[in-house]
Amino acid sequence: MEIKREDIIHLADLSDFSLSESEITSLGQDLQGIIGYISQLEELDTDNTKPTYQVFEMENVWRADEILPQDATREELLALTKEEKDNQIKVPKVL
Amino acid sequence: MKYIPTIGIECHVQLATKTKLFSEVDNDARGKEPNSCVSPVDYALPGMLPRLNGEAIKFAILAGRAMNCEINAYSRFDRKHYFYPDSPKGYQITQFYHPIIGEGYVELPSGARIRIEHAHLEGDAGKLTHFDMYSLVDLNRVDTPLIEIVSMPDIHSAKDAHDYCKELWRLMTFAGVSYGDLYNGNMRFDVNVSLAPEGATELGTRAEVKNLNSFRSVERAVEYEIARQSKILDAGEKVVQETRGWNDSTGKTTGQRSKEEAKDYRYMPEPDLPPINLTAEFIETESAKLPLMPTGYRKKFGGVLKAEILEVLLDYAELMKKLAEIDEKYVVAIANLFTSVLLAEEKSAEYLNDLPTAKQLNDLAEMNEKKELSSTATKEVFLRLFDPQMKGRDTKVIAKELGLIQENDLGALEAIVDTVLAKPETQKAQADFKAGEEKVIGFLVGQVMKESHGKANPSAVQEILRKKLA
Repeated sequence: MEIKREDIIHLADLSDFSLSESEITSLGQDLQGIIGYISQLEELDTDNTKPTYQVFEMENVWRADEILPQDATREELLALTKEEKDNQIKVPKVL
Repeated sequence: MKYIPTIGIECHVQLATKTKLFSEVDNDARGKEPNSCVSPVDYALPGMLPRLNGEAIKFAILAGRAMNCEINAYSRFDRKHYFYPDSPKGYQITQFYHPIIGEGYVELPSGARIRIEHAHLEGDAGKLTHFDMYSLVDLNRVDTPLIEIVSMPDIHSAKDAHDYCKELWRLMTFAGVSYGDLYNGNMRFDVNVSLAPEGATELGTRAEVKNLNSFRSVERAVEYEIARQSKILDAGEKVVQETRGWNDSTGKTTGQRSKEEAKDYRYMPEPDLPPINLTAEFIETESAKLPLMPTGYRKKFGGVLKAEILEVLLDYAELMKKLAEIDEKYVVAIANLFTSVLLAEEKSAEYLNDLPTAKQLNDLAEMNEKKELSSTATKEVFLRLFDPQMKGRDTKVIAKELGLIQENDLGALEAIVDTVLAKPETQKAQADFKAGEEKVIGFLVGQVMKESHGKANPSAVQEILRKKLA
């Protein structure tokens, strides 16, 4: 699979990144390398392997529905944001 | 040309669990400060891991069973990627490939069945408020558990679309899995509408109207879309496949920016949450907790209550539960009191939070039946039963305190009638009645009622009067 320039621009668009020309080129090369690496896996014979997405074979890991005190306060969490207003996170206008 | 509309509806229901879907923080943000019900998991701080809320799984089973759906033993979570400030993670955790709720159906009051394709568990997004120059983000709603219910394209009219949404709301509130508060966005509807010429075998191009939050707006948006698309098709043009927004005040839908395609979401299995694999016993045990649903109540009371009354009452889950505890012979009387008295009151919703006991209501109906309470007095006592101070108290004692017990003792009534008949101001009326003027009996009954301070049983009084004046 070949990573095209448009693919990089489209991905950047989906993530709301603006990329310079040189970044488009270098990211394209990086991504091409990663895809190439992954495609090596296609050589493996997986006919007798069940599809899986985790290797711990854990199931049904869930917790009780009880409110617990949180490790961080609202003030601490809001302090991590670039800008806040009226206890909310202020972001550039989106629609 | 005549077109057949086909409508599919996706409904998001916020589950009323105590904590959020993936962290142990308060899930009920009603009336609370922005960003006060937020955990580091909601903020997606580095290293934070989701911890699945078991109660949400149980609620999903109940919701699924309420819609006559198969419950899938195996289900799993996926990441749906998109970039927007309402989601600090940059993705939504949802069940794209293996939803917990499988196929089923919802039966409308008309008896029509709308098939459910599937329903899945997922986390909600945060709330954005837009201002001129900026937007503010409140993360209280992030990862509130949702189930998204996807219908098959079985709906063909605006009315059925309305009825389907309303019935879903009833099912979710009866099952007790959601507060069902539409005003606060507990249920939101995405409606897709397409038109095809009558007799066509293929569906037309559909337009989707997003984020409707009332049954009425669902109905209006569908009506609008049918009219809009008919016009386009009549002109020989093509409907554009797009997402449209609904404006409740103009009553119109307008095209919105084109959305990502499915592949743009880059779905991938959520590696931080092991799959769910439920035993048949677990599903059975949880399913058995489902209380009687609207269809069940329709069967139970269908022969006793008029359909219009039943459909009004079916908007109130608690009320229906109460009605099921009432003596069979008093069900009609109590149902009528609820419809004619309570639901006419402005405060009905507030009243309905805390209903009188079945015994209080049964006693009230019995007193009315024995004519110890006039119909007016019955209504008065009925409302009084909702007073928190009257909680659990004996209905008879309350009625006595209010001085509303009707005088049925014939001897006592006769004495009062005699007193009234002896009064000079009633002489003319008595003469008129004897001369054949039937309607003055009302005046005389009124005089007796007044003399008895309203406690006399008017029909008994009339009987005595007629005997004495014969």
